[in-house]
Amino acid sequence: MSIEPITGRYLTVTVEGAPRRIYFEEAGQGRPVLCLHTAGADTRQWRHLMNDAGITANNRMIAFDLPWHGKSLPPEGFETEEYLLTTEAYIETVLAVIDGLGLDRPVLAGCSMGGRIALQLAALHPDKFSGFIAIEASDFQPAWYDIDWFHRPDAHGGEMGAALVSANISPFAPNAERWNTLWMFMQSGPGVFRGDLSFYTKDDSLIARLGDIDTAKTPVHLIVGAYDLTCTPEDAKRTADAIDGATLAVMDKLGHFPMSEHPVGFRPFFVDALKRMPAGGAA
Amino acid sequence: MIETFHTMQAKLEATPHLLRLGRLFSENVLVQVGDDEIYLTFDKGHLTHVTAGPSRKTPWRFALRTDAEALAQFWQPLPAPGFHDIFGLLKVGRGNIDGDILCLVKNLRFFKEFMALPRTKREDAA
Repeated sequence: MSIEPITGRYLTVTVEGAPRRIYFEEAGQGRPVLCLHTAGADTRQWRHLMNDAGITANNRMIAFDLPWHGKSLPPEGFETEEYLLTTEAYIETVLAVIDGLGLDRPVLAGCSMGGRIALQLAALHPDKFSGFIAIEASDFQPAWYDIDWFHRPDAHGGEMGAALVSANISPFAPNAERWNTLWMFMQSGPGVFRGDLSFYTKDDSLIARLGDIDTAKTPVHLIVGAYDLTCTPEDAKRTADAIDGATLAVMDKLGHFPMSEHPVGFRPFFVDALKRMPAGGAA
Repeated sequence: MIETFHTMQAKLEATPHLLRLGRLFSENVLVQVGDDEIYLTFDKGHLTHVTAGPSRKTPWRFALRTDAEALAQFWQPLPAPGFHDIFGLLKVGRGNIDGDILCLVKNLRFFKEFMALPRTKREDAA
């Protein structure tokens, strides 16, 4: 028998003029580190790092489910709404969570679309953060698939989405964690993965903003896996090169969901990233 | 190459979860490896016929085209990046998929795992 140190609670904030009941988890104490999940998934992607005593000894790890994801309900009236995430709504949500939880300049760690929004926040709201860890993140990725595949009345979007994103998981990933990672996509609500991808594959506004990021004030560290077909090492390098002072680490044996698909392989890269952030570091 | 697909046919029959995943999949699929065309006839998840081409009379729902060396890498226990997935073969310019891609996507887990059947098991590696 074991009970994990992660605790989960709910926070209600206002986003786009309406209430959002947001589920968040946390573990540890010290420097706040706010973690953002990928498209079509939820906070469970971060559970390995949040259960890591070497990391939580000095870092207050916090992760939340975006509305429509995990245990955060969609907003009232969702039944007639087409879910399409936008950069603006995502930014507003992250800032609302920071204010709601009273976080003082957390490190922001985001993966995939979470990494994309971390870089947007590095450009637009650096005063709210102490540093940025952008995992599997790039300036822009056009879709190499049709996002409408994943929301249809004649097929299970979650199962199709999981089968597609399995292309981004490293063959070095332990089999159990590969399937735990894919399960989250299988569980994703109807149209949610599509709505996330709409933002991720169509909004290229970050490209013009990368030059605005001041890494002297807020460091930016990118991490990318060699087995990531969606954000390749070349994509991440192009992005890092456009940010003066940004650093990049390439993980030879990992893919697009490193903290979830292969937590042991990802840990040293995350610990290294934390050490590059201000105010202490992980064990 | 066609012998490999006969081996995959036998492995599929010995893989109950794949037969269950493919229970609604009854289609002809073309796999082209270099100049070799191989037509696969699936019926309710079972691979009933493996037929060497070329054939201009055999309709197919979707086609996967690659080369033998890329496929050999794909079947390694720990393939190099890009060779670890059929969509990866496209990404690294060693494969192509055409036809009814939506049909493939609806049955993607089944077809991916079918194509990976020759891949030998490996120990979980750090």
